[in-house]
Amino acid sequence: MAAGRNGKTPVTILKNKMFEKQKIIQLLENKILTLIARIILGGLFIIASLDKIIDPNAFAISILNYRVIGESLSMLVATILPWLELICGLGLVFGFYARANAGIITTLLICFIILIVSALARGLDISCGCFSQDPNMSKIGYQKILENIGLTILSIYLFYTSNKQINFISLFKKQSTN
Amino acid sequence: MNVQLIRQSFFLFIISASLGFIYTSFTKKGFFLENKSSAIVATDNFELIPLAKAKELLDSDSVIFLDTRHYSDYKNGHIKYAFNIPINELDNYTPVINSLPKEKFIIAYCDGADCNSSILMAKKLTELGFKNVKVFFGGWQEWKNAGYHIEK
Repeated sequence: MAAGRNGKTPVTILKNKMFEKQKIIQLLENKILTLIARIILGGLFIIASLDKIIDPNAFAISILNYRVIGESLSMLVATILPWLELICGLGLVFGFYARANAGIITTLLICFIILIVSALARGLDISCGCFSQDPNMSKIGYQKILENIGLTILSIYLFYTSNKQINFISLFKKQSTN
Repeated sequence: MNVQLIRQSFFLFIISASLGFIYTSFTKKGFFLENKSSAIVATDNFELIPLAKAKELLDSDSVIFLDTRHYSDYKNGHIKYAFNIPINELDNYTPVINSLPKEKFIIAYCDGADCNSSILMAKKLTELGFKNVKVFFGGWQEWKNAGYHIEK
């Protein structure tokens, strides 16, 4: 077989490429890396939920400011959504139903991105209502969209690596059976 | 699509919804708030803020409070440092409004849930080019009942 420019055969080059690809997959499926990603994303969702749980009325106002849904529906969303964020956040951190939690968080983040883009397109100058309900904090803008896109990538990554993750619940179970 | 995944997602949603309903039924907030319309109302171009945020903003000293009630009501008591611009005398106050910086945070309020002059004022100010107009919807009644700083 003819050797390549650097003395490497096409088969060797192909093998090297496959080896590199495998290394990247191995790195992405690294349990410590997924654990860190889970703690970051889960932690952010836990923090984001607290202010909303404490004051659902203020959160309902934040939702209403997007002018997409009415009063009653925004109250209903403000009642359920913060708890969903909290449960999914805890689920990610502790590793129970990790794939389902990552799936729900991905769906939520995509909805948030659509909402922010639509609000910006309509020229609304409102606060995000993402972490704090203070209207002077975190106005919607392109920075918020980028933040949410980053988190969406992280949650999609966790969705596809959920089978390779450290599960605290099973660790506790193993310890108790020993 | 994985059936187990859908089942788990549904389970998580039911748990969250149950917790949300139990919590708000005990605290009488959110979905179980008795007078929802006093807490929220639909708006066009400006933001509504609750009592706690209005208080925070007053303490931060970075906002102008506009009392849109009649002068007699304003004289009987108003939020500390608030200016009075009655909605029905808006034309007389044009020089005052024009002197306000367009970037400044302005919070309009009136008597409470039953009045809409704060919303009308916010609409007017937004039309005039003010960029940071908000409405404290609970208004004077909610502020007074909370026992926060007032002036007479």
